[in-house]
Amino acid sequence: MGLRDEQKQATRERVLEAARDLFNEIGYDETTIRAIAERAGVSVGSVFTTFASKAEVLSHVMERRLGDLYSEFDRVLPYLRGSTADRLCSIFAIHYEFETRRVKLFLAHIAASFSPSNEPGITPFGRNERLASMLVDVLTDGVKRGEVRDDLDLSVVVDSLKAFYAWNYRMAAAMGSDATAMSAVMDRQIGLVAEAWRPR
Amino acid sequence: MSFVSLNFESPTEAPIKLTRRAMAKQRTRERVLSSARRLFSERGYEGTTIRDIAQVAGMSTGAVFASFADKAELFDEILTADYEVVIAQMAVAAREGATVEASLLGLFDVAYRFHTEQLPLTRASIAVSWTRSDVAERRNRGDLLQIFRLLADCLQRGVAQGELKADFDAKLVGEIIWDVYVANYRRAIYDSWSAEALLERLAKQLRIVLAGVRA
Repeated sequence: MGLRDEQKQATRERVLEAARDLFNEIGYDETTIRAIAERAGVSVGSVFTTFASKAEVLSHVMERRLGDLYSEFDRVLPYLRGSTADRLCSIFAIHYEFETRRVKLFLAHIAASFSPSNEPGITPFGRNERLASMLVDVLTDGVKRGEVRDDLDLSVVVDSLKAFYAWNYRMAAAMGSDATAMSAVMDRQIGLVAEAWRPR
Repeated sequence: MSFVSLNFESPTEAPIKLTRRAMAKQRTRERVLSSARRLFSERGYEGTTIRDIAQVAGMSTGAVFASFADKAELFDEILTADYEVVIAQMAVAAREGATVEASLLGLFDVAYRFHTEQLPLTRASIAVSWTRSDVAERRNRGDLLQIFRLLADCLQRGVAQGELKADFDAKLVGEIIWDVYVANYRRAIYDSWSAEALLERLAKQLRIVLAGVRA
């Protein structure tokens, strides 16, 4: 890597870190590119040469966080124990615990995924395949162990679980609920759906 | 939508006459609302400013602020007006269904049709709901409570008709039905699903959710 590339990389790092903190402290809408540049100690121009827009900055901040989260999962997944429902509860509890560390940032990420100004180069919330594939793995394993009906439409179950998961963040948005409260609700929701997948 | 009767036949009560000033004010309000609706649909909530709205409505920003405290209030007024119409239709559809499943699907069919017709506004309203202020959150809770009441009524009828167990957590079930209903809009937004496709997916999800509480 040449000196120029190294500098560019360092700017990128500093911008992403500053943006992550500002989005979480004062909110996404309230954060300007100028404020990000100032916090990162770089020029406004160099933010714009690295990222096309504020939305793209947010997307990259989240992509990086997701990388951290899923490397945590790579470590944890082999140790998940218990019934299919228990395993699913654990997966979501880990997500809640991770995302509520910077909850305002995460809510901005969800909100942005509904914003009409989505540009290419942005990975919106809900479009990452890791969560879906983890859920499918756990359910498929449940089928093998005879805990889950084998004629179940897994994609519908996965869709529904992802919907519960995402919409429980409303508890954080509207009432300031923490990860424990959201996980408790999610556990009950999973319990309800587990009734439907039980073999009969 | 107004539910007030338009029957003015009673001779003792003269219809209330609006003063010219009140009528002018009402017209201004309506002009602001229709300009705002257009801009929110085209540019989303964040992309629209009060200044843009005033310009399209052909008035000063001051005149807009005379009718609405801020952009959030203006946006909520548009959504609430829509909700009044759509909730009334949802209630009718729910009563027509013979089973729990039919009632719920009937009600959500109305909602999906209505909201996919104006998808940009729907997108903006969901986006805003994630980051709005406490005041705006409270203001919007009324609409949501009405919908949850409709869902609770459907479930309650299912119990009365012997379709559902008597002792399940109706609040939890109502909430998760709502979750999947709203989450499905992502399919419309990202994958261009039609209202029919959304409803078909919801029917499958409902079957799974209700399986756990059937009698």
